[in-house]
Amino acid sequence: MTMPFTLTRRRLLALAGAAALCAPAAASAQGAGAWRRVPEIAALLGDLAPVEGGIALDLPFVSENGNSVPLSATVEGTDVRALHIFAPANPSPQVISFHFTALSRVAAVETRIRLNESQTVIAVAQLGDGTARIVEREVRVTVSGCLTEAGTYATDDLFRVRVRTPDQLAAGESGPVLTMIGHPMETGLRPGPDGTPLPQRLIERFEASLDGEPVFSADLYRSVAADPYIRFQIAPPAAGVLALTWREDTGHVVTAQADIAVG
Amino acid sequence: MEAYELTLWAGLAIGLAFGFAARATGFCLVSGLRGWWVTGERAKMRAFALALAVALAASQMLDLAGLVDLRRSLYAQGAFSPAVVLCGGLMFGYGMVLANGCGARALVLLAGGNLRSFVVLTCLGIAAYATLSGLVAPLRVAASSQGAIVTAPDLPAMLAALGLGEGAARLSLAIPLAGGIAFLALARAARDEAGLLAGGAAIGLLVAAGWVATGVLGADDFTPAPLASLTFVAPVGETIQYAMLATGMRPSFGVAVVAGVFAGALVTALVTGTARLEGFASPQAMLRSMAGGALMGAGGALALGCSIGQGLTGLSTLALTSFLAAGGILAGAWVALRGPLRVARQAVAEQS
Repeated sequence: MTMPFTLTRRRLLALAGAAALCAPAAASAQGAGAWRRVPEIAALLGDLAPVEGGIALDLPFVSENGNSVPLSATVEGTDVRALHIFAPANPSPQVISFHFTALSRVAAVETRIRLNESQTVIAVAQLGDGTARIVEREVRVTVSGCLTEAGTYATDDLFRVRVRTPDQLAAGESGPVLTMIGHPMETGLRPGPDGTPLPQRLIERFEASLDGEPVFSADLYRSVAADPYIRFQIAPPAAGVLALTWREDTGHVVTAQADIAVG
Repeated sequence: MEAYELTLWAGLAIGLAFGFAARATGFCLVSGLRGWWVTGERAKMRAFALALAVALAASQMLDLAGLVDLRRSLYAQGAFSPAVVLCGGLMFGYGMVLANGCGARALVLLAGGNLRSFVVLTCLGIAAYATLSGLVAPLRVAASSQGAIVTAPDLPAMLAALGLGEGAARLSLAIPLAGGIAFLALARAARDEAGLLAGGAAIGLLVAAGWVATGVLGADDFTPAPLASLTFVAPVGETIQYAMLATGMRPSFGVAVVAGVFAGALVTALVTGTARLEGFASPQAMLRSMAGGALMGAGGALALGCSIGQGLTGLSTLALTSFLAAGGILAGAWVALRGPLRVARQAVAEQS
């Protein structure tokens, strides 16, 4: 028993040494700069060279349910114009784009996304001074521990909008708005019971305005999880009525309202 | 406090109470079954039965009161593979006799210094995750896809399909079932078993407390959390995973319960002076524990739960999968205790 062990141990040590040398190289080859190979990001940025960092992108390292992976992102700075999320290994890499205004200048958002497989999720922020920031985060997706597939969605929840706003804000203070709409976000790629793909049906646009003044908006693509959920920050100058609009790709529009109290 | 954090603290408290009750009274299905089928000592089986009766009555009452919807739990599956659930139960039942205690029992024993349980738990957690999402997962998914689709995932729904109202169906099942099991548990109980029985009843209540923690305290319109209560297969694996990946994942209710059970049992062991380091007497004994742990992990993952997860928590929902799984666990344990593949009682000194 001892002879093979010493032999394998020597080999193991050699292998470990080789692995240690390779690991950093492999990591940099895969990790940093993955965005360069995503055409959608190249199209978005053009010739602009983004700064790496400056976005706190939070996703679980390991997700057992690729159908709904919680994502939160906070961009440093006060003049953030847009934040785009990409999942390059999904059938369509664009996931969601958030657009901010002076009334939502704290660029901190949350949503839930779909990830087809383990991959590097990329966040790109565009700032008012013309610069861009980029951050990558690797997520491993495993098969679901659940024994059943969610094949059908509760239809009684369709288009039901939920809103939660801060109880009371001081003038100029930022507070979170949470909203969610019941919707299957049917990708058009999923086969139905008879084998043919279920027709695409997506919420593609979300807008929030305070007494007619745009606050925040988002473009949603098919990689947003069913029952789209968005959390953003509002900084209202005065009390008002927050109007929320969700638009489906069929043109159907659902609206909801909530009072914003400032004092 | 956010609903999510509340759920975690509640899970920790429930775990602490479970650890205390289980350590103080030696709550254990394997001991109970061995007593019932082999030695004729039935006190521990009575305690387990009483836990089931209390869990069933309390959980059904929570559902009737509209506080939780038990059909949102993992156990009331509309489509599942009966063969896979039954096989999983058999594996779990056989494994828990091999390992001399289920996952929850191993956790309670480990807290008292039983290092054999550490081996059992490690094998259980890794085998569970290998089956849920690892090496064996593709096989599990393929096997489970040959499923049966049921329109009524639990007994109340089946009775309601016969024309009875939903509430009436629940009542007419819960009262005789819980009452009957409690009667069987208490009818011949001796006076000196009061402590054991109290421990069982407390554990039954903790199952209901788990539903409240995840279904009422954890209810958040914007973050749908799964309805769950006490179970010790996936959460053991998840706790190991959490230890390794804590910077990139959030703990769940199950992880909080596992941590609580360990802490509660540890404090109880120290206070009662029963803590003592123990190891394996032989490599064969270690192999047996490893096999038992692995069988419990893989079997529990297939059966959707363990002797607690399906045997108490699952059965308290009256779900069909739970009857299958619990039947499998009992059959597997019978094979290992009395059947053709019976295993000898472990030679090393037992604290169970």
